[in-house]
Amino acid sequence: MNYLIGLLRHVFMLLAVIWAAATLNFFLPQLAPKNPITEKLTVLGETSGISSAQIVELTAALNERFGLDRPIWERYLDYLGDIARFDFGQSISNYPARVSDLIAQAIPWTIGLMVSTTIISFVIGTLIGAWAAWRRDSVLLQAVSSMLMVFSAIPFYLIGLVLIYVFAVRLGWFPISGGYSIFSIPAPTWEFAREVLHHSVLPALSITIASIGIWAVGMRGMMVTVQGEDYMTFARARGLTNRRMFLNYGVRNAILPQVTALALFFGQIVTGAVLVEAVFGYPGMGLLLLSSITLFDYPTIYGIVFILIVTIAVSMLAVELIYPLLDPRVRR
Amino acid sequence: MTRIPDPAPIASPSPPRVEVIAREAPRGSAAARILAIARYLRRNPQLVLGVLLLGGLLAFSLIGRLFIEAGMAQPLVGPASLPPGAEHPLGTDPQGRDILAVMVYGSWLTLRMGFLAGLIGMAAGSALGFVAGYYGGWTDRIITWLVDVLLTVPAILFLVIISAMLSTALTSFGMAMIIALLAWRRPARQVRSQILVMRNAGYVEMARLSGASVPSIIFREIAPNLMPFLISSFIIAVAAAILAGIGLEAMGLGPQNEPTLGMTIYWIMKFSAFLLGMWWILPPVLLLIILFVALYLINAGLDELANPRLRKRG
Amino acid sequence: MTLLTVRDLRVDYFTTTRVIHAVRGASFDLAPAERVALVGESGSGKTTTALALMQMIDKPGRITGGNALLKGQDLLALDHEQMRRARLSRVAYIPQGAMNALNPVMRIRDQMLDGMADHGRRMGRAEARDFVAAALEGVGLPADVGTRYPHQLSGGMKQRACIAISIAMKPDLIIADEPTSALDVITQQQVMETLIAAQEQIGCGLLLIGHDMGLMAQATHRVIVMQDGLIAEDAPVDRIFTAPRHPYSRMLIESVPSLGDVPQDQVREPQKAGSAAVLAMPATGDAGPSELLRFDHVGKTFRGGFFGGGDVRALAPVSFALAADTPQIVSVVGQSGSGKTTLARLILGFESPSEGRILWRGQPVDAMGGRARAGYRQQVQAVFQDPYGSFNPFYQVDRTLKLPLVNFDIAAGTTDRRRRVEAACSAVGLNADEVLGRFPHELSGGQRQRLMVARALMIGPPLLVADEPVSMVDASLRMTILNNIRELKDQFGISVIYITHDLATAYHVSDYVLVMHQGRIVEAGPPRAVIKTPGHPYTRALVGAIPWPDPSRGWPPVGRSRAGWDAAPVIHGGYPGFVLESGLARAA
Repeated sequence: MNYLIGLLRHVFMLLAVIWAAATLNFFLPQLAPKNPITEKLTVLGETSGISSAQIVELTAALNERFGLDRPIWERYLDYLGDIARFDFGQSISNYPARVSDLIAQAIPWTIGLMVSTTIISFVIGTLIGAWAAWRRDSVLLQAVSSMLMVFSAIPFYLIGLVLIYVFAVRLGWFPISGGYSIFSIPAPTWEFAREVLHHSVLPALSITIASIGIWAVGMRGMMVTVQGEDYMTFARARGLTNRRMFLNYGVRNAILPQVTALALFFGQIVTGAVLVEAVFGYPGMGLLLLSSITLFDYPTIYGIVFILIVTIAVSMLAVELIYPLLDPRVRR
Repeated sequence: MTRIPDPAPIASPSPPRVEVIAREAPRGSAAARILAIARYLRRNPQLVLGVLLLGGLLAFSLIGRLFIEAGMAQPLVGPASLPPGAEHPLGTDPQGRDILAVMVYGSWLTLRMGFLAGLIGMAAGSALGFVAGYYGGWTDRIITWLVDVLLTVPAILFLVIISAMLSTALTSFGMAMIIALLAWRRPARQVRSQILVMRNAGYVEMARLSGASVPSIIFREIAPNLMPFLISSFIIAVAAAILAGIGLEAMGLGPQNEPTLGMTIYWIMKFSAFLLGMWWILPPVLLLIILFVALYLINAGLDELANPRLRKRG
Repeated sequence: MTLLTVRDLRVDYFTTTRVIHAVRGASFDLAPAERVALVGESGSGKTTTALALMQMIDKPGRITGGNALLKGQDLLALDHEQMRRARLSRVAYIPQGAMNALNPVMRIRDQMLDGMADHGRRMGRAEARDFVAAALEGVGLPADVGTRYPHQLSGGMKQRACIAISIAMKPDLIIADEPTSALDVITQQQVMETLIAAQEQIGCGLLLIGHDMGLMAQATHRVIVMQDGLIAEDAPVDRIFTAPRHPYSRMLIESVPSLGDVPQDQVREPQKAGSAAVLAMPATGDAGPSELLRFDHVGKTFRGGFFGGGDVRALAPVSFALAADTPQIVSVVGQSGSGKTTLARLILGFESPSEGRILWRGQPVDAMGGRARAGYRQQVQAVFQDPYGSFNPFYQVDRTLKLPLVNFDIAAGTTDRRRRVEAACSAVGLNADEVLGRFPHELSGGQRQRLMVARALMIGPPLLVADEPVSMVDASLRMTILNNIRELKDQFGISVIYITHDLATAYHVSDYVLVMHQGRIVEAGPPRAVIKTPGHPYTRALVGAIPWPDPSRGWPPVGRSRAGWDAAPVIHGGYPGFVLESGLARAA
């Protein structure tokens, strides 16, 4: 019963977050001092040589398309209906491509990068953190974990730049940028898969190096707390083996806040990854976002931001739903 | 059953309960205090290192201003893409800016932006957190709900939209204000949970029974005990603000006419610097890494100070 | 022959500049099947001694000498792996704070079996099930507790489960470190009886660590008293309580309030039920100035959250009146969750009633304006349970004492304040020079709590709420502080509401006793009547479970059933100045 209430509560929260994001997305441009369409078309005009008469015409056409002459609440409701179907209209920079299609092309790259790096860094970071707390006399472990923790403070893309400099430019082991070679055509072959993997090593590494430390910090702190708990003393007094105390009593309890933290870190990881993609020219959502920003492609920017927020919210919901399976105290 | 005669015999003469084995300065004396601080700092090298690094950065920026004019950080002061030499010690970038000047003025801009945004976010957040935590009830529920919803939303994505709208008119001061718009969320939540614990502390209730007013309880009883926590929270807020600011700048959304460090990262990506010239990549990247590491070390050191639980034993 | 022989055990703790000799050469014996108490106050070295026997002293501590022969084998000479194997199989340890001693994410069953598996006893499915069931039944728990998680058990059940887990391998020696310190007296008696039964059944030795001499008198054969890391006295239980030789033992024994020796001047004969005294106060409304505090059908219900979580009735409606002209000490006795703390917080104005109203000198408290409320604040003062929490760690203790003098305009000028603070300190037996100008962490719990009494004394309120003022103070200072509080009444005319879980101290200090259970008053009357002739089944169980520091006076057999605990309250009669009225409804 409580689980059901918790579930409803989380779904409600999820909807609230998505709604808040969508609403801000809609109203923020309304608050802007100038009409964004005219403003940006003027800039476009200056750079691309479209005449002012054409701009006025285009503005009128776009105003009608976006229905800017209708009352605001009506447009708001229409807008909510549209985004509920993931319809963000057409891209300005890649006109007449639909934003949803552009996103659909980019999203597998981003998800692939995110999921793999998150899993790898969570597992490695948690283990290192737990071990560093358990073996506080090991100088090597302390040094490694402290170094990783310092790395965790550095944004992914800066680490990416250093990695490019060392491994791509100096050593030439990996390509400098791209998701695959510009000479090959995406196809479901082993050849192509290997190429994609080769290109993804540095972007994945830059995210992993920094986020291992995030998990290691959390786990080490939690493990120290757990070691002070009465059940740890009792476990020791019962002559349990070191291995059992570490895994079943230490890690098993200390990992619980880590899982909750996972939900909170999604946002951080996703936004960090946006710039990593930009640094590596990796063809995911981040690169798409950055190029849209450069070209003032508002429908695409809003579409990407919205999709990222929904993704983060859904991942958080997933974590919240998995948590009770790990902690008997919150399930009834 | 063998019984030990009563009182229990002591096999060897017992030493006093407490023995002093190292020199101790008299309690409360200045010497003792300095000794204690020195001993503490030796145990907390990360705080020392962090403060030294941040101080070094600040000194670099402040002293650098004395020797290098601000104009040197503007485009076209020198030839484009000049390798390091006598005229330009770190070379110039493709826009013809002197890299050393960009570093000197850029690090100041970055620090100022982070400090401002962190301060505003911290002030607004603590005020909300105090109100929510101390008064409770519906005020608390609304504030908490708002913070919870907004915390789920990654700040930088909203900042992208806002900055993209304002981009041409943006200054680095405006940037600080935009970042401050969302920087209050985490302090608000953290301060609230601290207040919830402290509100029912015995000494707070004692102060109420002693006729203390609400402001006096907040500022005289709670705030001093919250100080280490507030400082560490502030450092986190500054670091988060710098992270967000540099991120936005690196996306090309920062102020266009100021030599910020983040914009330099943007130009690195934009001009495919790795293919053109290496010398202007490393200075901004290293400078930023030093800055983030310094903030991290200070925060970790303060955390150790505020939470003795995590202190290393022995 | 002896089971355990400890000789010249030494444990030191090292800081950067000091060595603290926590145990300075402890020697004692334990015979097979013998139950020995190791008692002392905090810091006496008793827990350190016990942990040393299991080689569980952590850095910066170290065992620096001595030996401990268990059946001829030196426990202190075992290597790491040998010691691990000896734990559980030969020496069992039942920890302090059993509330959190079990792994919250594992079933009880698995926590019993994993320890045995690590000692080479693996069992098949069916065998394991039967074994767990038998072990749990052995401590009076149903077999299905094995499949539950710790949070699904009550405190008493958790402690029994800990016992079952600890003794599953029939050890030679059980070390129990304050196994019942977090439990109420009734559960304490049940758990102690379970532990003793298990120990007798296995035939092993039991080293019971604690500070409660009463409990030791009831549970052990022999008492070892420790002080400052030394053994002060080691004697059979019947000898140490009748003729303690060491002054420290005598002090520990005397600090336990006992039934028989109440000085004559405190004993107030109970009024007959319904006598004139009870009705001396107007039963309803019409509060004259002679009435200090009146509860008019005051109840408190804590609402559940927005999602789930039911309402909790912390206090069923109660009505009483406290007279202004008769200083008195009214005790409110109950276990945690009985509503006694809610009652205290209502009086202090920290909670507002969800029904009924509270009147102060005839004025409804919730309708008071700023000035009247400030007056009320000043006139109802408190001493809290936790002497550590009552002082702001940021300031010197002087501030806590001077704050009310400033805010309530009691003293004019710094010199006057200083004079008053010093006078109050000496009134509670503290040397002002020793305590003033110090930070709270530099003072002992007892000193701090006495400063709190001194603070109340300076304000001189008509009413003081003392919420468990001695439960966190070492035994040696308890009686001193209780006497301080009694002097507040006798010498300064301050009435006291004394909130406690301890019926014995209530008996010792109060003029009138209210016994609470689950938010209701179940029994009320003068202390002698409530304790000598308890009328309500709950009070009877409570009085029966008190461990008296008198080995000849055994624990009466404890009933498991809670039958009749929801019976109607029993009122023995009134006390001039305190009137308990209707509103004592039966439990819903």
